[in-house]
Amino acid sequence: MKLPLLSFIVFFAAAVVGQAADKIRVSTFSTILTEIAQQVGGDRVAVTGHVKPGIDPHEFEPKPEDLKIVGDAQLILLSAKHMESYVGKLKQATGTKGDLVEVGDGFASLKMKSEREPDKVIEDPHWWQSVLYTEKAVKIVRDELIKVSPADKATFTENAAKYLAKLDALEKWVKLELAKLPRDKRKLVTSHDAFQYFARDNGFTIHAIEGVSSEDQPSSKKVGDIVAAIKSEGVKAIFPENIENPKVMTEITRETGVKIAPPLYADGLGDTPEASTYEAMYKHNVTTIVDALK
Amino acid sequence: MRGSPLLRALLAFIIVALLGIPLWQLTRPEAVLATPTSPVPKAEIAKAIHLHLTFTTVPKKVVVSNLDKVVWDIAAPEADMEHDVTMAYPTEGVDVQFHIEWPEDGPLSAMRVQLTDPAGDRHDKSVWGKGADDEVVTFP
Repeated sequence: MKLPLLSFIVFFAAAVVGQAADKIRVSTFSTILTEIAQQVGGDRVAVTGHVKPGIDPHEFEPKPEDLKIVGDAQLILLSAKHMESYVGKLKQATGTKGDLVEVGDGFASLKMKSEREPDKVIEDPHWWQSVLYTEKAVKIVRDELIKVSPADKATFTENAAKYLAKLDALEKWVKLELAKLPRDKRKLVTSHDAFQYFARDNGFTIHAIEGVSSEDQPSSKKVGDIVAAIKSEGVKAIFPENIENPKVMTEITRETGVKIAPPLYADGLGDTPEASTYEAMYKHNVTTIVDALK
Repeated sequence: MRGSPLLRALLAFIIVALLGIPLWQLTRPEAVLATPTSPVPKAEIAKAIHLHLTFTTVPKKVVVSNLDKVVWDIAAPEADMEHDVTMAYPTEGVDVQFHIEWPEDGPLSAMRVQLTDPAGDRHDKSVWGKGADDEVVTFP
């Protein structure tokens, strides 16, 4: 009696281990790309998200254990548009044989003046704030997974189609929700300049306190300009972010009387249920904006 | 100097404290008299807007809304309809929401919207749909 049971356990364990080993190993450096890889790859992928929800990707630096995993990955997904300043080191240090894909390079960038070097023009890396760009990212990830495992083409195509349908529905929901907010009230004062793609898609004007990176610090002139803009444009609320210090915001509210709205999620998914998925995060941001500015 | 040393110390302390008052007044940081100015958003005045709708398939029902308020409820639509509605029309534009109920099992159908703004400029947009559908159309 004991022998068949033991054989079954050994067989079952071997099957589980075999299945795990058989999965495509994917490393991602963005919480958004982690979700996309999981949604498109389904059971066929084992995704390691190196940047965890709620962590500021502008300040993230890979640790030795990250490099070890990347070195063994078959597909490495990066946000690109200069978000991962360590990409060169990543390539050198890991000597990875995997396919390193800079997803954000697959679509056009919004460009803006650098906060640190005003003569320099930089790319806005926050492409996931456009649902349309996230849809493009899904297609890129789908095609890259098919390249790694052509035998799973049908699975990846079907999974991607389902996820794209969800994103289409989200985009429609966004339009309907924002239709409640007059276009002349679409002024967004945020802590760092991460919502330009959202603004372009939905007719907003952005006044960001910090630059494109959350590490940029605002000058007193810039804070003064924002205070003036809030007063002249009749902005009703300003928005902190989930991973920011709202100290300067408090100062601005003292001078202008505007309220501080609940935080927005700018740099990816959060570690709270309200932003645990892309859809939840986006809906949270839109609802917060409409409620505060209406 | 006569008198109790305790009394003298107390007297000296009071003198120093009194001298300190003008000094503190001269050196204290300027109190920021925060006068929170409640921003008064410019209220856009509602203006007459002309809407002209044409359909490839006559829908069962159409409801036109702006800023969550119904501006035109069409219970029995026709293939070609015109109506004046009132809504604010800021320079940044307007979002007009259409709830359209197309015939069940009908083909993919289109609605053409011609909007004449308060300045008399005409804008033309189209939406496609099937079944019960909600669409937001932005003008200009």
